[in-house]
Amino acid sequence: MSVITIRGVSKAFGKVVVLKEFTDEFQDGEFITFLGPSGCGKTTMLRMIAGFEKPTSGEILIDGKPVSAPGVFVPPEKREIGMVFQSYAVWPHMNVFDNVAYPLKIKKMPKAEIQKKVTAILEVVHLSQYADRMPSQLSGGQQQRVALGRALVAEPKLLLLDEPLSNLDAKLRESMRYEIKEIQRKLGITVVYVTHDQVEAMTMSDRVFIINRGVIQQMGSPIDIYRHPANQFVADFVGKVNFVKGTSANGKIHLKGVDQWLDYDGPLSGDVVVAIRPENMKLTEAEGHLKGTLSSMFYLGDVNDCQVSFGDVTLRVTAESHTYDKLTQGSEVGVVISDFLVYEDDGTDDYSKILT
Amino acid sequence: MEKKVYFDIKWVVILAIVGFLLIFQVFPLLYLVYRSFFSSGSFSLEGLKRIYSYPLNWLCLKNTIITAGLAMIFGVILAFPLAWLVGRTNLYGKKFFRTLFVTTYMVPPYVGAMAWLRLLNPSVGTLNVFIQNLFHLESTPFNIYSVGGLVWVLTTFYYPYAFITISRAMEKMDPSLEEASRISGASPLKTVFTVTLPLMFPSIVAAALLVFVAAASCYGIPSIIGAPGQIYTVTTRIVDYVYIGSQEGLTDATNLAVFLMAIALIILYISNFVVGKKEYITVSGKSTRPNIVDLGKWRIPITLLVCCFALIVVIIPFFSVVTTSFTVNMGKSLFAPGNLTTKYWHTITSRKSILGSAKNSLISAVWAASLGMVVCLIMAYLLKRTTVRGKQIPDFLITVGSGTPSVVIALALIMTMSGKFGINIYNTMMIMVVAYMIKYMLMGMRTVVSAFSQVSPSLEEAAQISGAGWLRRLKDVLFPLIVPSIVAGWFLIFMPCFYELTMSNLLYSTDTKTLGVELFTYQTYHSQQTASALATAILVVVIVLNVVMDKLTKGKFSI
Repeated sequence: MSVITIRGVSKAFGKVVVLKEFTDEFQDGEFITFLGPSGCGKTTMLRMIAGFEKPTSGEILIDGKPVSAPGVFVPPEKREIGMVFQSYAVWPHMNVFDNVAYPLKIKKMPKAEIQKKVTAILEVVHLSQYADRMPSQLSGGQQQRVALGRALVAEPKLLLLDEPLSNLDAKLRESMRYEIKEIQRKLGITVVYVTHDQVEAMTMSDRVFIINRGVIQQMGSPIDIYRHPANQFVADFVGKVNFVKGTSANGKIHLKGVDQWLDYDGPLSGDVVVAIRPENMKLTEAEGHLKGTLSSMFYLGDVNDCQVSFGDVTLRVTAESHTYDKLTQGSEVGVVISDFLVYEDDGTDDYSKILT
Repeated sequence: MEKKVYFDIKWVVILAIVGFLLIFQVFPLLYLVYRSFFSSGSFSLEGLKRIYSYPLNWLCLKNTIITAGLAMIFGVILAFPLAWLVGRTNLYGKKFFRTLFVTTYMVPPYVGAMAWLRLLNPSVGTLNVFIQNLFHLESTPFNIYSVGGLVWVLTTFYYPYAFITISRAMEKMDPSLEEASRISGASPLKTVFTVTLPLMFPSIVAAALLVFVAAASCYGIPSIIGAPGQIYTVTTRIVDYVYIGSQEGLTDATNLAVFLMAIALIILYISNFVVGKKEYITVSGKSTRPNIVDLGKWRIPITLLVCCFALIVVIIPFFSVVTTSFTVNMGKSLFAPGNLTTKYWHTITSRKSILGSAKNSLISAVWAASLGMVVCLIMAYLLKRTTVRGKQIPDFLITVGSGTPSVVIALALIMTMSGKFGINIYNTMMIMVVAYMIKYMLMGMRTVVSAFSQVSPSLEEAAQISGAGWLRRLKDVLFPLIVPSIVAGWFLIFMPCFYELTMSNLLYSTDTKTLGVELFTYQTYHSQQTASALATAILVVVIVLNVVMDKLTKGKFSI
């Protein structure tokens, strides 16, 4: 229900630049995700929208009104934003009802109305029967839903979520993902979501911003980003990938260390890096694009996670699970490659230097 | 573009408190330094020269350094094994011993002095006479009115400072460091010497320095024990000079005070910033369960040894103070016919002047604790929740204030707050409240700062994003969460203020006499029994307050 405009926003702490200039507009009802490794600047971005940090340059507008701009600063408490913190930040000295009712009490709403709204929102986050509990009596997932309820109860224009699921176990994370997406759809609010978990980003977002070292690496729909990563960092960070160095010439790429050729009809020539996702390869006992030795297999149930070695290079291949029974370790296998990407080799391995 | 200025009450409050610290603490102390070096109008070291060229001054300085130095050495030698035995072994009655040693910390120093005076008086000391009779000696073996006596009392009173510091460091140490030594083949004892002791070294140095400064700045003990034996220390000398009141005396007092302050602050600096940086101990956040060393066949003998120590150092002295308050003739046994009386208790509960002093103490301690906690809370907020440059300065000032010897604080306030610079609070209760705050706020500050560290800032941010302004956030979120710490901090400031002697002794007027002064007067001039009754009453109050604090904070902060 609100439009966020970000114009040339950057942030530096002293001399350390944590976020380089950033400009975009988040549309009404959009689900935006900032995805990146820890320390990449994504949380700083979120905190600037919330008003906990002031941008070093640029301006932020909510529905066309400047909230952070030169000479203008609206403090967080005046921005009417809902936010869920990584640590949930559920107040341990208040029960569930009081936690959720707090934003309404600040607004000095009449008691009856508070009662009504809180009851309604507790219904939405499935906590109706826990209204009188203290946070210490709740599980992590329930506390997380209290935080969500508190962020939503005042019907904010905008909901910010800072790694809300990172402290939950895998099962719970999955179900909360659907719940958050469902709530957003129901209420139709604009959401800005920060995470380092690519699955969360893929499943919930309309648009994803991949950030590394304070720089936006790529912006696009989840499908776009997965299928067409703009650079090695994005390819590596979203999904799994094998990188092999090579030389491109005359419609073929020579893979270094593997000492075999791949057909290539793209524009790049000279030193390149070939990126192949493990699921884009198949193993066959017959002839494939490449020939290698099956050096190890791990049966994971749904798939067969293999390592195939080609001289100096080992590639990870996600094979179908039934191949585990047919193939034997140490045997020669053919590898069929259905899709791969080629990047210019700039001679660095910067993509792998993820800030921690 | 719509422009709105959001007025921040936060900064008004913070600036007001910083101003208070500047006027009442920084200015007086700086003035003292100024007077010492610029007494003749221009810079000169004449003042410092007088300290060592005038034998009276030089002697007291020597006495202070010797007694405090020895108390430091003995204090640590006692404290480390005790802390280890209580914290890391299967000693019997660990909890009891711990409480016992730590409680001593909360007892006013002069009570210890009174007790030992009674026990080791060269002619009639109870313990002296007992030992003389036991071994058929020609004369009593000990004389409390000596340098040795002074060192003994200082040690028995100040070793708990080292005990607490070292125990805390031991609790914080990751036990897996010791386990790694054990698994590598070292015996428990070898582990203590090769791992525990070296790791604890910074804390031990810090503890030693703490004892030194505390013993060197102490006034109560040397004034009760040193004065009769003609052993003067810097603190007693300063107080004498102030009482004499001559211009020359005041100059000498100032010089000595500046010297004492310099020693204290240099040591504070060393222990905070040099030793502090070498702190090896890692706090893991989780509560670690220390591995317990089995004392084996030594368990009973060592427990007995610790029992003897507790008996001699804690129980007998306090017991003697209590019995003295019921004794008519101190030369005779308590149970000699007609020697048991409650008349001194009757005196302290009925005499108007004593009750008046108790009321004064209560009121000034309540004010000091309450105002002190306001200052601590806001300054802790500044330190922990803002990003202002120089936010650690108030914390630093509070640390310096607490590290400054009481006599020095009192002297500085007398010289600056008597109307010379437009503020005259001399002879009022306010000057005492100010002095108490400067000296004792640190305890409150530490408690609140550590509580702040434990409350995640996101809890406040959550309130802020919900629409709550600064005061509202403090009231709804931060304060309710740290109430136990606020209560604890309040008591930690209140208790030492309630029985304070040194500063009160210099700052009181006829209308603002406090309990400490009253007790001191009775002890030195009138009736030791009445003083003992008062001391016992104070002890009871301290113990009761500790129990109350324990209950209110659910055991988290009892001393």
